[in-house]
Amino acid sequence: MEITASPRQRAATAGVFAALVFIPVLFFSSMIAGREISRLYALAWALFTAGAAYAINYSGRVSFYRRIFFSVSALAFLVHFKFSLFSKVFTASCFTDTPFCHIAMAPYFLNYLYQQYLALMSGGWKLWGPLTLGAAWLFLTIALGRGWCSWVCFYGGIDDGLSSLARRQLIQIDRWALKVRDLPAALLIFIMLVSLAYMLPVYCLWLCPFKITGSFLDQEGYLKGLQYGLMFFAMAAVVIGPLLTKKRIFCSFLCPFAAWQAFWGRLNPFRISAEEAKCIGCLNCVAACPMSAKSCAPGGKPEILAYCNLCGQCLEACPVRGIRYTVLGLELPAAEGVLGRLVTVECFFVFSALTLGSVFASLWAPAALRDVVKIMSH
Amino acid sequence: MPALFSEGFLLGLSIGFYCLSSCLPLLAPYMLAEGKAVWKFNSYIFMLFLGGRFAAYMLFALLASLAGKAGQYAMPPWLLPASMAATGLLMVYLAAARVSGGAGPCLLKKDLNPFFKRLPFALGFVTGVNICPPFAAAFIRLMEMADILKGFAYFCGFFSATSLFISPVLLGTPWLGRRANEIGRLTLLIAGLWYTALGLKGLF
Repeated sequence: MEITASPRQRAATAGVFAALVFIPVLFFSSMIAGREISRLYALAWALFTAGAAYAINYSGRVSFYRRIFFSVSALAFLVHFKFSLFSKVFTASCFTDTPFCHIAMAPYFLNYLYQQYLALMSGGWKLWGPLTLGAAWLFLTIALGRGWCSWVCFYGGIDDGLSSLARRQLIQIDRWALKVRDLPAALLIFIMLVSLAYMLPVYCLWLCPFKITGSFLDQEGYLKGLQYGLMFFAMAAVVIGPLLTKKRIFCSFLCPFAAWQAFWGRLNPFRISAEEAKCIGCLNCVAACPMSAKSCAPGGKPEILAYCNLCGQCLEACPVRGIRYTVLGLELPAAEGVLGRLVTVECFFVFSALTLGSVFASLWAPAALRDVVKIMSH
Repeated sequence: MPALFSEGFLLGLSIGFYCLSSCLPLLAPYMLAEGKAVWKFNSYIFMLFLGGRFAAYMLFALLASLAGKAGQYAMPPWLLPASMAATGLLMVYLAAARVSGGAGPCLLKKDLNPFFKRLPFALGFVTGVNICPPFAAAFIRLMEMADILKGFAYFCGFFSATSLFISPVLLGTPWLGRRANEIGRLTLLIAGLWYTALGLKGLF
Protein backbone atom coordinates (compact mmCIF):
# COMPACT_ATOMS: atom_id res chain seq x y z
CA MET A 1 0.00 0.00 0.00
CA GLU A 2 1.48 3.38 -1.02
CA ILE A 3 1.58 5.73 1.96
CA THR A 4 1.04 9.13 0.39
CA ALA A 5 -1.71 10.46 2.68
CA SER A 6 -1.10 12.59 5.77
CA PRO A 7 -0.95 10.85 9.19
CA ARG A 8 -4.41 12.16 10.02
CA GLN A 9 -5.91 10.83 6.80
CA ARG A 10 -4.19 7.51 7.34
CA ALA A 11 -5.51 7.35 10.90
CA ALA A 12 -9.04 7.96 9.64
CA THR A 13 -8.74 5.25 6.98
CA ALA A 14 -7.21 2.82 9.48
CA GLY A 15 -9.99 3.59 11.95
CA VAL A 16 -12.66 2.75 9.39
CA PHE A 17 -10.78 -0.40 8.39
CA ALA A 18 -10.46 -1.49 12.03
CA ALA A 19 -14.19 -0.90 12.56
CA LEU A 20 -14.99 -2.99 9.48
CA VAL A 21 -12.95 -5.85 10.95
CA PHE A 22 -14.24 -5.35 14.49
CA ILE A 23 -17.97 -5.65 13.73
CA PRO A 24 -18.08 -9.13 12.13
CA VAL A 25 -15.43 -10.48 14.52
CA LEU A 26 -17.40 -9.27 17.55
CA PHE A 27 -20.63 -10.70 16.14
CA PHE A 28 -19.31 -14.17 15.39
CA SER A 29 -16.93 -14.30 18.34
CA SER A 30 -19.78 -13.45 20.73
CA MET A 31 -21.91 -16.16 19.17
CA ILE A 32 -19.14 -18.74 19.50
CA ALA A 33 -17.64 -17.78 22.86
CA GLY A 34 -20.97 -16.72 24.35
CA ARG A 35 -22.12 -20.33 24.40
CA GLU A 36 -19.91 -21.06 27.39
CA ILE A 37 -18.26 -17.90 28.73
CA SER A 38 -18.93 -14.19 29.17
CA ARG A 39 -19.18 -12.21 25.96
CA LEU A 40 -16.71 -9.73 27.42
CA TYR A 41 -13.91 -12.13 26.50
CA ALA A 42 -15.16 -12.14 22.94
CA LEU A 43 -15.20 -8.35 23.03
CA ALA A 44 -11.59 -8.29 24.21
CA TRP A 45 -10.58 -10.63 21.40
CA ALA A 46 -12.44 -8.55 18.81
CA LEU A 47 -10.75 -5.40 20.11
CA PHE A 48 -7.34 -7.06 19.83
CA THR A 49 -8.08 -8.06 16.24
CA ALA A 50 -9.31 -4.57 15.43
CA GLY A 51 -6.09 -3.20 16.94
CA ALA A 52 -4.06 -5.39 14.61
CA ALA A 53 -6.20 -4.25 11.67
CA TYR A 54 -5.63 -0.61 12.60
CA ALA A 55 -1.87 -1.07 12.94
CA ILE A 56 -1.61 -2.90 9.60
CA ASN A 57 -3.60 -0.29 7.73
CA TYR A 58 -2.00 2.72 9.40
CA SER A 59 1.61 1.60 9.10
CA GLY A 60 1.40 -0.51 5.95
CA ARG A 61 3.52 -3.16 7.74
CA VAL A 62 1.31 -6.13 6.97
CA SER A 63 3.57 -8.96 8.05
CA PHE A 64 4.82 -7.40 11.27
CA TYR A 65 1.39 -6.92 12.80
CA ARG A 66 0.00 -10.05 11.16
CA ARG A 67 2.70 -12.02 12.94
CA ILE A 68 1.75 -10.53 16.31
CA PHE A 69 -1.91 -11.44 15.75
CA PHE A 70 -1.03 -14.88 14.38
CA SER A 71 1.40 -15.74 17.19
CA VAL A 72 -0.99 -14.57 19.91
CA SER A 73 -3.70 -16.76 18.39
CA ALA A 74 -1.34 -19.77 18.40
CA LEU A 75 -0.19 -19.02 21.94
CA ALA A 76 -3.82 -18.84 23.07
CA PHE A 77 -4.38 -22.25 21.49
CA LEU A 78 -1.44 -23.68 23.41
CA VAL A 79 -2.55 -22.07 26.67
CA HIS A 80 -6.08 -23.38 26.36
CA PHE A 81 -5.52 -26.86 24.95
CA LYS A 82 -1.95 -27.94 25.50
CA PHE A 83 -0.50 -26.31 28.63
CA SER A 84 -2.64 -28.58 30.82
CA LEU A 85 -0.20 -31.35 29.86
CA PHE A 86 2.44 -29.62 31.93
CA SER A 87 0.36 -28.27 34.80
CA LYS A 88 -3.17 -28.86 36.04
CA VAL A 89 -3.44 -25.13 36.62
CA PHE A 90 -4.10 -24.81 32.90
CA THR A 91 -6.83 -27.42 32.72
CA ALA A 92 -9.56 -26.00 30.52
CA SER A 93 -12.92 -25.56 32.23
CA CYS A 94 -14.75 -24.52 29.06
CA PHE A 95 -14.40 -25.31 25.36
CA THR A 96 -12.74 -28.59 26.25
CA ASP A 97 -13.11 -30.15 22.78
CA THR A 98 -10.13 -29.41 20.57
CA PRO A 99 -11.16 -28.16 17.11
CA PHE A 100 -10.81 -30.81 14.41
CA CYS A 101 -7.22 -30.82 13.20
CA HIS A 102 -7.13 -29.40 9.68
CA ILE A 103 -3.67 -30.87 9.06
CA ALA A 104 -5.17 -34.35 9.39
CA MET A 105 -7.83 -33.54 6.82
CA ALA A 106 -5.48 -33.54 3.84
CA PRO A 107 -3.61 -36.83 4.40
CA TYR A 108 -6.87 -38.73 4.99
CA PHE A 109 -8.74 -37.32 2.05
CA LEU A 110 -8.87 -40.66 0.25
CA ASN A 111 -10.09 -42.36 3.42
CA TYR A 112 -12.85 -39.76 3.71
CA LEU A 113 -13.86 -40.40 0.14
CA TYR A 114 -13.97 -44.11 0.83
CA GLN A 115 -16.03 -43.60 3.99
CA GLN A 116 -18.44 -41.37 2.12
CA TYR A 117 -18.75 -44.03 -0.55
CA LEU A 118 -19.55 -46.62 2.13
CA ALA A 119 -22.04 -44.24 3.76
CA LEU A 120 -23.68 -43.62 0.39
CA MET A 121 -23.95 -47.31 -0.40
CA SER A 122 -25.30 -48.23 3.03
CA GLY A 123 -27.67 -45.28 3.29
CA GLY A 124 -25.84 -44.09 6.42
CA TRP A 125 -26.40 -40.40 5.75
CA LYS A 126 -25.46 -39.51 9.32
CA LEU A 127 -21.91 -40.55 8.48
CA TRP A 128 -21.56 -37.64 6.08
CA GLY A 129 -19.91 -35.50 8.76
CA PRO A 130 -16.64 -34.89 6.93
CA LEU A 131 -18.55 -33.28 4.10
CA THR A 132 -19.65 -30.49 6.45
CA LEU A 133 -16.02 -29.97 7.32
CA GLY A 134 -15.21 -30.12 3.62
CA ALA A 135 -17.71 -27.35 2.92
CA ALA A 136 -16.12 -25.17 5.63
CA TRP A 137 -12.70 -25.84 4.15
CA LEU A 138 -13.92 -25.00 0.63
CA PHE A 139 -15.32 -21.68 1.84
CA LEU A 140 -12.07 -20.81 3.62
CA THR A 141 -10.01 -21.84 0.62
CA ILE A 142 -12.02 -19.70 -1.77
CA ALA A 143 -11.86 -16.75 0.62
CA LEU A 144 -8.26 -17.13 1.75
CA GLY A 145 -6.49 -19.81 -0.27
CA ARG A 146 -2.92 -20.30 0.79
CA GLY A 147 -3.30 -17.45 3.24
CA TRP A 148 -4.60 -20.03 5.70
CA CYS A 149 -1.04 -21.02 6.62
CA SER A 150 0.04 -17.54 7.64
CA TRP A 151 -3.15 -16.03 9.01
CA VAL A 152 -5.30 -18.79 10.51
CA CYS A 153 -3.45 -22.06 11.25
CA PHE A 154 -2.87 -22.28 15.00
CA TYR A 155 0.16 -24.52 14.53
CA GLY A 156 1.68 -22.23 11.93
CA GLY A 157 1.53 -19.39 14.43
CA ILE A 158 4.01 -21.20 16.67
CA ASP A 159 6.44 -21.74 13.80
CA ASP A 160 6.03 -18.21 12.51
CA GLY A 161 6.36 -16.57 15.92
CA LEU A 162 9.51 -18.50 16.77
CA SER A 163 11.09 -17.73 13.39
CA SER A 164 10.92 -14.03 14.23
CA LEU A 165 12.61 -14.38 17.62
CA ALA A 166 16.14 -15.09 16.37
CA ARG A 167 18.12 -11.99 15.47
CA ARG A 168 19.96 -13.64 12.61
CA GLN A 169 20.16 -16.93 10.77
CA LEU A 170 22.45 -19.28 12.68
CA ILE A 171 22.07 -21.90 9.94
CA GLN A 172 21.80 -20.93 6.29
CA ILE A 173 19.39 -23.22 4.46
CA ASP A 174 18.92 -21.29 1.23
CA ARG A 175 21.29 -23.54 -0.73
CA TRP A 176 19.37 -26.74 -0.24
CA ALA A 177 15.93 -25.44 0.71
CA LEU A 178 14.62 -25.28 -2.85
CA LYS A 179 15.91 -28.77 -3.65
CA VAL A 180 13.67 -30.33 -1.03
CA ARG A 181 10.88 -27.76 -1.20
CA ASP A 182 8.54 -30.34 -2.72
CA LEU A 183 8.95 -32.69 0.24
CA PRO A 184 5.57 -31.79 1.80
CA ALA A 185 3.85 -32.61 -1.49
CA ALA A 186 5.63 -35.97 -1.60
CA LEU A 187 4.74 -36.61 2.05
CA LEU A 188 1.14 -35.71 1.35
CA ILE A 189 0.85 -38.14 -1.57
CA PHE A 190 2.63 -40.90 0.33
CA ILE A 191 0.56 -40.50 3.49
CA MET A 192 -2.68 -40.32 1.51
CA LEU A 193 -1.89 -43.59 -0.23
CA VAL A 194 -0.55 -45.43 2.80
CA SER A 195 -3.42 -44.25 5.01
CA LEU A 196 -5.84 -45.66 2.45
CA ALA A 197 -3.91 -48.90 2.15
CA TYR A 198 -3.71 -49.52 5.90
CA MET A 199 -6.84 -47.63 6.92
CA LEU A 200 -4.77 -45.97 9.62
CA PRO A 201 -4.13 -42.32 10.58
CA VAL A 202 -0.52 -42.60 9.42
CA TYR A 203 0.29 -38.90 9.76
CA CYS A 204 -1.05 -38.72 13.33
CA LEU A 205 0.77 -41.91 14.26
CA TRP A 206 4.12 -41.16 12.74
CA LEU A 207 4.78 -37.51 12.20
CA CYS A 208 2.40 -35.20 14.05
CA PRO A 209 4.47 -33.10 16.49
CA PHE A 210 1.43 -32.02 18.47
CA LYS A 211 0.19 -35.35 19.75
CA ILE A 212 2.07 -35.02 23.02
CA THR A 213 -0.89 -36.40 24.89
CA GLY A 214 0.33 -39.96 24.21
CA SER A 215 -2.75 -40.94 22.26
CA PHE A 216 -2.31 -42.25 18.72
CA LEU A 217 0.92 -43.99 19.68
CA ASP A 218 1.29 -47.62 18.76
CA GLN A 219 1.28 -50.07 21.65
CA GLU A 220 4.22 -52.08 20.37
CA GLY A 221 7.50 -51.11 22.06
CA TYR A 222 9.77 -50.89 19.02
CA LEU A 223 7.28 -48.98 16.89
CA LYS A 224 6.30 -46.74 19.76
CA GLY A 225 9.95 -45.75 20.17
CA LEU A 226 10.23 -44.98 16.46
CA GLN A 227 7.03 -42.94 16.55
CA TYR A 228 8.30 -40.97 19.53
CA GLY A 229 11.56 -40.36 17.66
CA LEU A 230 9.78 -38.99 14.61
CA MET A 231 7.43 -36.95 16.78
CA PHE A 232 10.38 -35.28 18.52
CA PHE A 233 12.05 -34.72 15.15
CA ALA A 234 8.92 -32.97 13.91
CA MET A 235 8.66 -31.05 17.17
CA ALA A 236 12.25 -29.88 16.72
CA ALA A 237 11.26 -28.71 13.24
CA VAL A 238 8.50 -26.61 14.81
CA VAL A 239 10.43 -25.21 17.76
CA ILE A 240 14.19 -25.36 17.18
CA GLY A 241 14.27 -25.13 13.37
CA PRO A 242 12.76 -21.62 13.18
CA LEU A 243 15.02 -20.34 15.96
CA LEU A 244 18.13 -21.49 14.09
CA THR A 245 17.13 -20.59 10.56
CA LYS A 246 14.53 -17.82 10.84
CA LYS A 247 12.44 -19.99 8.49
CA ARG A 248 9.23 -21.89 9.13
CA ILE A 249 10.85 -25.31 8.92
CA PHE A 250 7.89 -27.52 9.81
CA CYS A 251 5.43 -25.58 7.65
CA SER A 252 7.83 -25.46 4.70
CA PHE A 253 9.19 -28.98 4.67
CA LEU A 254 6.97 -31.32 6.67
CA CYS A 255 3.39 -30.08 6.78
CA PRO A 256 1.18 -32.04 4.35
CA PHE A 257 -1.62 -29.52 4.70
CA ALA A 258 0.69 -26.77 3.42
CA ALA A 259 1.19 -28.79 0.24
CA TRP A 260 -2.53 -29.48 0.01
CA GLN A 261 -3.34 -25.81 0.41
CA ALA A 262 -0.62 -24.82 -2.07
CA PHE A 263 -2.43 -26.94 -4.65
CA TRP A 264 -6.01 -25.94 -3.90
CA GLY A 265 -5.09 -22.37 -2.99
CA ARG A 266 -5.17 -21.60 -6.72
CA LEU A 267 -8.93 -21.40 -6.33
CA ASN A 268 -8.40 -18.17 -4.44
CA PRO A 269 -7.70 -15.10 -6.60
CA PHE A 270 -5.34 -13.28 -4.21
CA ARG A 271 -1.68 -13.41 -5.17
CA ILE A 272 1.64 -11.86 -4.25
CA SER A 273 3.13 -10.43 -7.43
CA ALA A 274 6.52 -8.93 -8.17
CA GLU A 275 6.94 -6.14 -10.69
CA GLU A 276 9.78 -7.16 -12.95
CA ALA A 277 10.35 -3.62 -14.18
CA LYS A 278 11.01 -2.37 -10.66
CA CYS A 279 13.09 -5.33 -9.50
CA ILE A 280 16.77 -4.57 -8.90
CA GLY A 281 17.70 -8.20 -8.26
CA CYS A 282 18.79 -7.67 -4.64
CA LEU A 283 17.05 -10.94 -3.60
CA ASN A 284 16.11 -9.46 -0.23
CA CYS A 285 12.67 -11.00 -0.72
CA VAL A 286 14.17 -14.46 -1.23
CA ALA A 287 16.12 -14.15 2.02
CA ALA A 288 13.15 -12.72 3.90
CA CYS A 289 10.59 -15.32 2.83
CA PRO A 290 10.00 -17.55 5.88
CA MET A 291 8.45 -20.28 3.71
CA SER A 292 11.34 -20.59 1.22
CA ALA A 293 8.72 -19.93 -1.43
CA LYS A 294 10.77 -17.60 -3.61
CA SER A 295 13.52 -18.50 -5.98
CA CYS A 296 15.85 -16.58 -8.18
CA ALA A 297 14.71 -16.92 -11.79
CA PRO A 298 17.17 -16.44 -14.69
CA GLY A 299 18.12 -12.80 -14.88
CA GLY A 300 18.11 -12.36 -11.14
CA LYS A 301 14.37 -11.79 -10.91
CA PRO A 302 12.32 -13.31 -8.09
CA GLU A 303 10.00 -16.16 -8.91
CA ILE A 304 7.10 -16.69 -6.51
CA LEU A 305 6.33 -20.38 -6.01
CA ALA A 306 2.97 -21.98 -5.36
CA TYR A 307 3.97 -22.39 -1.71
CA CYS A 308 3.74 -18.64 -1.05
CA ASN A 309 1.14 -18.15 1.65
CA LEU A 310 0.71 -14.41 1.35
CA CYS A 311 2.24 -13.50 4.70
CA GLY A 312 3.50 -10.19 3.32
CA GLN A 313 7.05 -10.51 4.64
CA CYS A 314 8.55 -9.84 1.21
CA LEU A 315 6.54 -6.64 0.82
CA GLU A 316 8.45 -5.13 3.71
CA ALA A 317 11.79 -6.55 2.55
CA CYS A 318 11.62 -5.10 -0.98
CA PRO A 319 13.59 -1.81 -1.05
CA VAL A 320 11.78 -0.54 -4.16
CA ARG A 321 8.28 -1.59 -3.07
CA GLY A 322 8.00 -3.77 -6.14
CA ILE A 323 6.00 -6.55 -4.50
CA ARG A 324 2.27 -6.23 -3.93
CA TYR A 325 -0.93 -8.07 -3.23
CA THR A 326 -2.88 -8.52 -6.44
CA VAL A 327 -5.94 -10.29 -7.76
CA LEU A 328 -4.62 -12.77 -10.30
CA GLY A 329 -1.74 -10.39 -10.97
CA LEU A 330 -3.97 -7.33 -11.39
CA GLU A 331 -4.32 -4.30 -9.14
CA LEU A 332 -7.31 -2.07 -8.50
CA PRO A 333 -7.12 1.55 -9.73
CA ALA A 334 -5.93 3.96 -7.02
CA ALA A 335 -8.59 6.10 -5.36
CA GLU A 336 -8.49 9.01 -2.92
CA GLY A 337 -10.43 9.75 0.25
CA VAL A 338 -10.92 7.83 3.47
CA LEU A 339 -13.04 5.13 1.86
CA GLY A 340 -11.25 5.30 -1.48
CA ARG A 341 -7.97 4.33 0.12
CA LEU A 342 -9.64 1.19 1.42
CA VAL A 343 -10.43 -0.01 -2.09
CA THR A 344 -7.15 -1.81 -2.62
CA VAL A 345 -6.40 -5.50 -3.08
CA GLU A 346 -4.29 -5.45 0.07
CA CYS A 347 -7.18 -4.11 2.15
CA PHE A 348 -9.59 -6.70 0.76
CA PHE A 349 -7.17 -9.53 1.44
CA VAL A 350 -6.18 -8.37 4.93
CA PHE A 351 -9.85 -7.87 5.83
CA SER A 352 -10.70 -11.34 4.59
CA ALA A 353 -7.73 -13.02 6.30
CA LEU A 354 -7.90 -11.18 9.59
CA THR A 355 -11.67 -11.58 9.97
CA LEU A 356 -11.68 -15.28 9.17
CA GLY A 357 -8.57 -15.94 11.26
CA SER A 358 -10.04 -14.14 14.23
CA VAL A 359 -13.47 -15.77 13.98
CA PHE A 360 -11.85 -19.21 13.75
CA ALA A 361 -9.64 -18.41 16.75
CA SER A 362 -12.77 -17.54 18.71
CA LEU A 363 -12.98 -21.25 19.40
CA TRP A 364 -10.11 -20.89 21.84
CA ALA A 365 -8.71 -17.34 22.15
CA PRO A 366 -11.46 -15.84 24.40
CA ALA A 367 -11.40 -19.05 26.45
CA ALA A 368 -7.61 -18.79 26.83
CA LEU A 369 -8.02 -15.22 28.01
CA ARG A 370 -10.50 -16.45 30.58
CA ASP A 371 -8.01 -19.16 31.66
CA VAL A 372 -5.33 -16.52 32.20
CA VAL A 373 -7.71 -14.22 34.11
CA LYS A 374 -8.77 -17.15 36.26
CA ILE A 375 -5.17 -18.13 37.05
CA MET A 376 -4.23 -14.55 37.89
CA SER A 377 -7.26 -14.02 40.09
CA HIS A 378 -6.38 -17.13 42.10
CA MET B 1 -9.97 -74.42 -17.12
CA PRO B 2 -12.31 -71.54 -18.14
CA ALA B 3 -14.21 -72.17 -14.93
CA LEU B 4 -11.06 -71.68 -12.90
CA PHE B 5 -10.15 -68.58 -14.90
CA SER B 6 -13.61 -67.21 -14.09
CA GLU B 7 -13.25 -68.11 -10.44
CA GLY B 8 -9.93 -66.24 -10.21
CA PHE B 9 -11.42 -63.35 -12.20
CA LEU B 10 -14.41 -63.09 -9.88
CA LEU B 11 -12.21 -63.20 -6.79
CA GLY B 12 -10.14 -60.39 -8.31
CA LEU B 13 -13.26 -58.38 -9.10
CA SER B 14 -14.73 -58.78 -5.65
CA ILE B 15 -11.65 -57.71 -3.75
CA GLY B 16 -9.94 -55.59 -6.36
CA PHE B 17 -10.26 -52.47 -4.23
CA TYR B 18 -7.93 -53.98 -1.64
CA CYS B 19 -5.52 -54.83 -4.41
CA LEU B 20 -5.67 -51.24 -5.56
CA SER B 21 -5.04 -49.84 -2.10
CA SER B 22 -2.10 -52.24 -1.63
CA CYS B 23 -0.52 -51.45 -5.00
CA LEU B 24 -1.16 -47.70 -5.13
CA PRO B 25 1.56 -46.66 -2.64
CA LEU B 26 4.08 -48.36 -4.93
CA LEU B 27 2.70 -47.72 -8.37
CA ALA B 28 1.38 -44.15 -8.06
CA PRO B 29 4.71 -42.62 -6.93
CA TYR B 30 6.48 -44.56 -9.67
CA MET B 31 4.13 -43.32 -12.40
CA LEU B 32 4.38 -39.83 -10.97
CA ALA B 33 8.17 -40.00 -11.09
CA GLU B 34 8.46 -41.59 -14.52
CA GLY B 35 5.39 -40.43 -16.40
CA LYS B 36 5.63 -38.03 -19.31
CA ALA B 37 3.11 -36.05 -21.29
CA VAL B 38 2.97 -38.91 -23.78
CA TRP B 39 0.31 -41.60 -23.50
CA LYS B 40 2.37 -44.09 -25.46
CA PHE B 41 5.35 -43.88 -23.15
CA ASN B 42 3.24 -44.07 -19.99
CA SER B 43 1.32 -47.05 -21.36
CA TYR B 44 4.60 -48.73 -22.20
CA ILE B 45 6.02 -48.49 -18.68
CA PHE B 46 2.64 -49.45 -17.24
CA MET B 47 2.55 -52.55 -19.44
CA LEU B 48 6.08 -53.40 -18.29
CA PHE B 49 4.93 -53.02 -14.70
CA LEU B 50 1.96 -55.31 -15.36
CA GLY B 51 4.30 -57.74 -17.09
CA GLY B 52 6.46 -57.93 -13.99
CA ARG B 53 3.39 -58.42 -11.85
CA PHE B 54 2.13 -61.16 -14.14
CA ALA B 55 5.48 -62.95 -13.97
CA ALA B 56 5.35 -62.83 -10.17
CA TYR B 57 1.81 -64.21 -10.17
CA MET B 58 2.76 -67.08 -12.44
CA LEU B 59 5.77 -67.85 -10.26
CA PHE B 60 3.51 -67.94 -7.23
CA ALA B 61 1.00 -70.10 -9.06
CA LEU B 62 3.80 -72.55 -9.74
CA LEU B 63 5.13 -72.44 -6.17
CA ALA B 64 1.68 -72.71 -4.60
CA SER B 65 0.80 -75.69 -6.76
CA LEU B 66 4.12 -77.40 -6.01
CA ALA B 67 3.70 -76.69 -2.31
CA GLY B 68 0.19 -78.15 -2.44
CA LYS B 69 1.49 -81.24 -4.20
CA ALA B 70 4.13 -81.67 -1.52
CA GLY B 71 1.49 -81.38 1.18
CA GLN B 72 2.88 -78.05 2.39
CA TYR B 73 -0.03 -75.75 3.21
CA ALA B 74 1.70 -72.80 4.85
CA MET B 75 3.91 -70.11 3.44
CA PRO B 76 7.31 -69.57 5.09
CA PRO B 77 6.93 -66.72 7.61
CA TRP B 78 9.89 -64.76 6.27
CA LEU B 79 8.45 -64.54 2.75
CA LEU B 80 6.17 -61.55 3.21
CA PRO B 81 8.63 -59.31 5.12
CA ALA B 82 11.47 -60.29 2.79
CA SER B 83 9.45 -59.40 -0.30
CA MET B 84 8.38 -56.17 1.33
CA ALA B 85 11.98 -55.23 2.16
CA ALA B 86 13.04 -56.10 -1.40
CA THR B 87 10.28 -53.88 -2.79
CA GLY B 88 11.28 -51.04 -0.50
CA LEU B 89 14.93 -51.28 -1.43
CA LEU B 90 14.12 -51.32 -5.13
CA MET B 91 11.95 -48.23 -4.73
CA VAL B 92 14.72 -46.43 -2.87
CA TYR B 93 17.14 -47.44 -5.62
CA LEU B 94 14.81 -46.23 -8.37
CA ALA B 95 14.28 -42.92 -6.61
CA ALA B 96 18.00 -42.45 -6.00
CA ALA B 97 19.10 -43.52 -9.47
CA ARG B 98 16.70 -41.15 -11.12
CA VAL B 99 18.41 -38.13 -9.60
CA SER B 100 19.82 -35.97 -12.35
CA GLY B 101 23.48 -34.97 -12.33
CA GLY B 102 23.53 -31.61 -10.57
CA ALA B 103 20.44 -31.79 -8.41
CA GLY B 104 21.06 -34.57 -5.94
CA PRO B 105 23.38 -35.43 -3.09
CA CYS B 106 26.87 -36.44 -4.22
CA LEU B 107 26.43 -40.18 -3.74
CA LEU B 108 23.56 -40.19 -6.20
CA LYS B 109 25.21 -38.18 -8.93
CA LYS B 110 26.67 -41.21 -10.66
CA ASP B 111 25.66 -41.29 -14.30
CA LEU B 112 23.79 -44.57 -14.59
CA ASN B 113 22.74 -46.40 -17.68
CA PRO B 114 19.09 -45.41 -18.42
CA PHE B 115 18.14 -49.09 -18.26
CA PHE B 116 18.98 -49.15 -14.57
CA LYS B 117 17.22 -45.88 -13.92
CA ARG B 118 13.88 -47.28 -15.03
CA LEU B 119 12.92 -50.74 -13.99
CA PRO B 120 9.14 -50.99 -14.15
CA PHE B 121 9.27 -54.72 -14.83
CA ALA B 122 11.27 -55.35 -11.67
CA LEU B 123 9.00 -53.09 -9.66
CA GLY B 124 5.96 -54.93 -11.00
CA PHE B 125 7.58 -58.22 -10.07
CA VAL B 126 8.36 -57.24 -6.47
CA THR B 127 4.89 -55.73 -6.17
CA GLY B 128 3.48 -59.04 -7.33
CA VAL B 129 5.40 -61.05 -4.77
CA ASN B 130 4.09 -58.81 -1.98
CA ILE B 131 1.34 -60.83 -0.45
CA CYS B 132 -1.74 -58.76 0.17
CA PRO B 133 -4.92 -60.32 1.67
CA PRO B 134 -6.62 -60.93 -1.74
CA PHE B 135 -3.45 -62.53 -3.02
CA ALA B 136 -3.20 -64.76 0.05
CA ALA B 137 -6.79 -65.94 -0.52
CA ALA B 138 -5.93 -66.93 -4.09
CA PHE B 139 -2.68 -68.52 -2.97
CA ILE B 140 -4.41 -70.80 -0.45
CA ARG B 141 -6.95 -71.85 -3.08
CA LEU B 142 -4.06 -72.91 -5.32
CA MET B 143 -2.42 -74.90 -2.57
CA GLU B 144 -5.63 -76.83 -2.18
CA MET B 145 -5.87 -77.54 -5.93
CA ALA B 146 -2.20 -78.55 -6.22
CA ASP B 147 -2.29 -78.47 -10.02
CA ILE B 148 0.13 -76.29 -11.93
CA LEU B 149 -1.93 -75.67 -15.07
CA LYS B 150 -5.09 -75.01 -13.11
CA GLY B 151 -3.07 -72.69 -10.92
CA PHE B 152 -1.93 -70.71 -13.97
CA ALA B 153 -5.50 -70.40 -15.21
CA TYR B 154 -6.74 -69.30 -11.81
CA PHE B 155 -4.04 -66.68 -11.36
CA CYS B 156 -4.48 -65.44 -14.98
CA GLY B 157 -8.10 -64.64 -14.11
CA PHE B 158 -7.10 -63.08 -10.80
CA PHE B 159 -4.42 -60.98 -12.50
CA SER B 160 -6.79 -59.78 -15.25
CA ALA B 161 -9.44 -58.62 -12.81
CA THR B 162 -7.10 -56.88 -10.38
CA SER B 163 -5.32 -55.14 -13.27
CA LEU B 164 -8.64 -53.50 -14.15
CA PHE B 165 -8.64 -51.80 -10.76
CA ILE B 166 -5.06 -50.65 -11.11
CA SER B 167 -5.24 -49.31 -14.67
CA PRO B 168 -6.99 -45.97 -13.82
CA VAL B 169 -3.63 -44.86 -12.43
CA LEU B 170 -2.71 -44.11 -16.07
CA LEU B 171 -5.44 -41.52 -16.46
CA GLY B 172 -3.68 -38.61 -14.78
CA THR B 173 -0.24 -39.19 -16.21
CA PRO B 174 -0.44 -37.14 -19.45
CA TRP B 175 -0.61 -33.97 -17.34
CA LEU B 176 2.61 -34.71 -15.52
CA GLY B 177 5.40 -32.19 -15.80
CA ARG B 178 8.94 -32.06 -14.56
CA ARG B 179 7.84 -30.70 -11.19
CA ALA B 180 5.45 -33.62 -10.74
CA ASN B 181 8.28 -36.00 -11.64
CA GLU B 182 10.41 -34.54 -8.86
CA ILE B 183 7.56 -34.85 -6.37
CA GLY B 184 7.06 -38.43 -7.55
CA ARG B 185 10.73 -39.21 -7.03
CA LEU B 186 10.61 -37.92 -3.46
CA THR B 187 7.40 -39.87 -2.84
CA LEU B 188 9.02 -43.00 -4.22
CA LEU B 189 11.95 -42.49 -1.86
CA ILE B 190 9.72 -42.04 1.20
CA ALA B 191 7.51 -45.01 0.26
CA GLY B 192 10.63 -47.11 -0.35
CA LEU B 193 12.03 -46.29 3.08
CA TRP B 194 8.64 -47.10 4.62
CA TYR B 195 8.43 -50.52 2.99
CA THR B 196 12.07 -51.29 3.77
CA ALA B 197 11.50 -50.47 7.45
CA LEU B 198 8.34 -52.55 7.59
CA GLY B 199 10.05 -55.47 5.86
CA LEU B 200 13.11 -55.37 8.10
CA LYS B 201 10.90 -55.13 11.17
CA GLY B 202 9.16 -58.32 10.07
CA LEU B 203 12.42 -60.10 9.41
CA PHE B 204 14.20 -59.31 12.68
